[in-house]
Amino acid sequence: MPVNRQSSASAARTSDRPTGFRNPWFQFVLNIVGVVIYELLLKAGASATADSAKSWSWIGINALASPLTWLAIVVIIVDLVIWLYILRYIPLSIAFPLSRTVDVLVPISCWLILRETISPLRWCGIALAIVGLIIVAKPAAELEQRL
Amino acid sequence: MTWIALIFILIWLATFVTGQLLFKRAMDFSSAAGFRDRRTIFTLGVGILIMTISFCLNLGLLQRFDLSYVYPFQGSSIIIIAVLAAIVLKEKLTPRLIVGTLLIAAGVVLVSIS
Repeated sequence: MPVNRQSSASAARTSDRPTGFRNPWFQFVLNIVGVVIYELLLKAGASATADSAKSWSWIGINALASPLTWLAIVVIIVDLVIWLYILRYIPLSIAFPLSRTVDVLVPISCWLILRETISPLRWCGIALAIVGLIIVAKPAAELEQRL
Repeated sequence: MTWIALIFILIWLATFVTGQLLFKRAMDFSSAAGFRDRRTIFTLGVGILIMTISFCLNLGLLQRFDLSYVYPFQGSSIIIIAVLAAIVLKEKLTPRLIVGTLLIAAGVVLVSIS
């Protein structure tokens, strides 16, 4: 049974799971902070170089003219390494929904830093996402106890 | 939103979801056979390539819309990824996980349409 094989493999992988700085959940927090930082940098870089008159600008290449975009790329690469590390220990079906914490943090950051406006309906959506995150956090905590 | 915007957002979503699944599969391979394993390198390489395409499309979209408007579209990938993780990667989806995932996705969609 492939499912059983995978479960036992996961158990074997996670039984010697690192602690401290290398703890996957600590890296998870770092990953989320990284996503918020690079999304804001990308938006700033993309806005600084936006030229919607060009039809090929949909592919976003001209955003590379901004140093902010390159700084974002550096953060993305570091964040990718962290994410791959997380995926070695945490199932994607738990890690990915929890990673959507950024969907709450990014709009709030846009509101605070980029001065973008957030409507009451958007605030409701943010609240709903937070409730979902709390619910998903429980299976994550149970997973942690089993490890 | 124009049709071309919708098409680009859908391509962006498809590449993002595929990239995530490939990353997880690559890490499963690496746990079993190490990072020098041919399957690990190939899967990770394809995943990075697809994620690079996703990244470029993301930049293109960011040049045309507010970040707080564009970004939540990626949130709809939550359900797709959770379902595909269960089907393709054989991960277990508990009822609680499903409810939580649906709430997060609903919240994110609400943010995107507001």
